[in-house]
Amino acid sequence: MSNTATGVASKRAYVLAIAFILFFWQVAAWFLPSFLMPDVHVAMMRLWRELGSAEFYHGLGNSMGRLGAGYGAALLAGIVLGLVGGTLNAVRSTLKAAIIILQSIPSIAWVPLFLILMGFGNMPIIIVVAVGAFFPTALSVMNATESVERVHVDAARVMGASRLQMLKRVYFPAVTPELITGAQLAFGNAWRALISAEMIVGFSAGLGKSLAYSGEIADMTGVMTNILVIAVLAAVIDQVILERIKYRLLRYQYL
Amino acid sequence: MQLQFERVAKSFGDLRVIDSFDNTIRDGEIVALVGPSGCGKSTLLHMVAGLQSATEGEVRADGKRVERPAPERTLVFQEHALYPWMTIKENVALALEFQGRAPGPAREEAREWLGRVKLDGFEDYYPHQVSGGMRQRCALARAFIARPKVLLLDEPFGALDALTRMTLQSVLKELIEEERPTVVLVTHDVDEAIYLADRVLVFSHRPARVLEEFTLGHIPKTHDLSAFADIRREVLTLLGIDTQAEASQRQTEKGDVQ
Repeated sequence: MSNTATGVASKRAYVLAIAFILFFWQVAAWFLPSFLMPDVHVAMMRLWRELGSAEFYHGLGNSMGRLGAGYGAALLAGIVLGLVGGTLNAVRSTLKAAIIILQSIPSIAWVPLFLILMGFGNMPIIIVVAVGAFFPTALSVMNATESVERVHVDAARVMGASRLQMLKRVYFPAVTPELITGAQLAFGNAWRALISAEMIVGFSAGLGKSLAYSGEIADMTGVMTNILVIAVLAAVIDQVILERIKYRLLRYQYL
Repeated sequence: MQLQFERVAKSFGDLRVIDSFDNTIRDGEIVALVGPSGCGKSTLLHMVAGLQSATEGEVRADGKRVERPAPERTLVFQEHALYPWMTIKENVALALEFQGRAPGPAREEAREWLGRVKLDGFEDYYPHQVSGGMRQRCALARAFIARPKVLLLDEPFGALDALTRMTLQSVLKELIEEERPTVVLVTHDVDEAIYLADRVLVFSHRPARVLEEFTLGHIPKTHDLSAFADIRREVLTLLGIDTQAEASQRQTEKGDVQ
């Protein structure tokens, strides 16, 4: 019951926050000339028109494809490396230190390297997204693996679990709560990496490219519309999709 | 399955926990290890399970040196050993699934075993939704379902209240009578040791040595342990409990009632 109560409270908080942000945008629009800052309703009208154009969906599809490929690959690799690294005492601390060092490099800094390495195309963007999402995933899984309760591991050993069974049936479910937190963090990184890489690389249509292009031609309504799309999508993916998956996977905790 | 301890010793760094323990536990025998906290009796149990290795000497099961865990020697932990992400039934079935049984038949058999420990109707609850006593019933089902030849119990009811503990001791006794594994029980509870065991070993402080051995034999027992009052008093005295004072206090309490 307390869950639904906090659910309602957090929903109200979201509505208030959105109203607040839009209000400040509108205040800025009142004080600035319209070629610098468009009114909220003007951007909304533009968005409405965009939603009816095939071009918009083409760009959106491209961006989502890159996000899905990069984020998906990063989750998979992060889970595997985190579980294996977390159970191998010999390599754990070195691996963790390496991740912490690499994690501090902004993912966008890898763009020139991968652009030259893989050539102009989708691949460098996908790799940059994956790099951004991989480290928080691997780190959270590895930390959680390390702190799996001794008695849970011993019980499985006594029951005759093989190494693979142990990873699948004990370690993986035991680290799921931390994995989800890590995956949500990783999504934030992946999203930022995607938009910035698309802005820089500018290969075929996409949300980032569309935003960069609007900026180049000083179309501020276009800029604000794109920012609006980027913000709404991120919120929907994180707060609706990822939260729902989290609830599904951790259902036993809410009972 | 017969268990042999041959000059078993265990040290953690400079700390000597067990000092040359020799004993043989016959097939089907029920032995309780009683002693002060941290005296190394749990370590002995973990060695039989294959979770820890001896620093010196060896533990043998039917003549074969114990080197790693095997489902034929299973261990029941004090608590929190059930997996919180699985239902009661899934927890029990897991013991069979780890041995290669398909999930369907494993869950069917788990349901039967849950019936035997009187948990019918709770199959689909998660461990945190049921009481501590019910969790330990589930832990017993999970241990017995694998039909172990050796059942190792590490203070299985230590976290339960006195009444629940006695109920579970009866459940455990019944299961042991039906399945007849060799049992090694580590406990702080002298009454539990006397009620369940055929033989009680009393250990000293670290490094653990056997102070005394009490052979009760495999006889029917109830929770009325008044027939074992002498043994009980002796064990408690060995453990450093002042039985004299306790006895006189009980005398006065009786007087009050009358």
